[in-house]
Amino acid sequence: MASTIKKPLNPRVQLLISIAVIVAVVVITLLAFFYREQVGRVVVAALVITLASFLLLLILRHFILIWFSYLHQRELANDDSVEVYPFVSIIVPAYNESEVIQASLASLLELRYPYYEIIAVDDGSSDGTYEKMREFEGNHYGVRVQVFRKENSGKADTLNYGIRRSRAPIVVCTDSDSRLTPDSLRYAIRHFHDPNVGAVTGNVKVINRHNIWTRLQALEYIEGLNLVRKAQAFFRSVNVIPGPMGIFRRMAIEAVGGYDTDTFAEDFDMTVKILAEGWKITYEPKAIAFTEAPEELLDIIKQRYRWSRGILQALRKQKRLLTRSSGTVTTPLTLWYMIFEGLVWPAMNIFANLFFVWIALLYGMTKLLVMWWLLLTLMDLLIAVHAILMEKEDLRLAPYAVFYRFFYILIIDVTKVFATLEELIGLDMSWGKLARKGRI
Amino acid sequence: MRFDWVNILATVIFVSIVVTLILAVASYFAYKVREARRPKTAAELRQEGEVKVFFEQYQPK
Repeated sequence: MASTIKKPLNPRVQLLISIAVIVAVVVITLLAFFYREQVGRVVVAALVITLASFLLLLILRHFILIWFSYLHQRELANDDSVEVYPFVSIIVPAYNESEVIQASLASLLELRYPYYEIIAVDDGSSDGTYEKMREFEGNHYGVRVQVFRKENSGKADTLNYGIRRSRAPIVVCTDSDSRLTPDSLRYAIRHFHDPNVGAVTGNVKVINRHNIWTRLQALEYIEGLNLVRKAQAFFRSVNVIPGPMGIFRRMAIEAVGGYDTDTFAEDFDMTVKILAEGWKITYEPKAIAFTEAPEELLDIIKQRYRWSRGILQALRKQKRLLTRSSGTVTTPLTLWYMIFEGLVWPAMNIFANLFFVWIALLYGMTKLLVMWWLLLTLMDLLIAVHAILMEKEDLRLAPYAVFYRFFYILIIDVTKVFATLEELIGLDMSWGKLARKGRI
Repeated sequence: MRFDWVNILATVIFVSIVVTLILAVASYFAYKVREARRPKTAAELRQEGEVKVFFEQYQPK
């Protein structure tokens, strides 16, 4: 298999290229400002039309998401699936997670599910993770915990290692920094009564909410990520099965050959492969997994940089699926949506913010600028309240919606744009493991 | 003295967007510098084929 991860470049060269890009952007912006009289009316008109389209698209996108997430929620409320509990294997890969691994394994032993086993795999940790895992080895009231240790080879390979040692028809892949709620598995399993469902994604929530960054991420998970997954689940084609909780039909994993090790977003890559095989992927809001979010800005940037580049690597790998699919039409649509969300949308958002402010100030349309800001803030607030109420979440997160679009998302979008540029020119990257605080 | 709230609010919005963008770009470069100066993990060194041994195992006589 051809590797998607390119040959590393010197970090200094990386830095120089990044600085060159930003200097170019600044110079172009300044030139456009000082020679604004020379900028033709046609160009300005085209930009205004683009901006208006952006605003229209933004509002339309939110209405579509809210409508389909509502339909999915209503569908689940009417779900009268017979409760049958197949045997389940839970795979817990861990690399240097000594701070959190015991809390994670303890939460798995508290699951209210009759038949399951836990397979914990240490990926060559050097901080005593394996020793802490070993304390859980054995039988716990009918739940068998197996602990394995292998040489460091990355998360995807560690998950494959665990899956090979499991024996259940349903496999749960989780992160060692996550905590599942006791009924999560019971709710997720009901979707597998449909034989075409290959995987179910859980509802990931942020557990550490004690500073502005973690609270903004908590809101982002509810409003930004879960709302989208809920809307996609109406079409049974969720596009990312997140690391903290992915529940798979073994047949689906085997059909796609397990996790690939050639991207930095093994979860997205796996999701695309499963969709491409024609399986359905849905979302269960009551299958809740808590995860520890990065607590500092630079760590958030590190995480999002990896996500962005990983998704692009997976998209590049699966580009043939953009035009054709062995499954349904939903696979190409899902991939195009990811391109839009990952590449087009962040750039448009930055551009729209800058351009709108620039035009408004240049032509003295300050009232328009204030109206635009108020409208979007009000829309964000309403959507945040809607998403929070749907998930029966903490309403105190709603005011953070004011900072969400004009502050937080803007920072994330800048990272996404840089990550995209670096991926396109093939700069090297590493996994970039986050330091855990042990909040779970 | 009469305040023009619209202009004040517009200025606040403008400044906050510009400052956020500057903060975002600066943070991104701070992240890149931090990553460039980060010590490599054993796995990365192995991947690059340069396993560095800093210390030798102490053997008591």
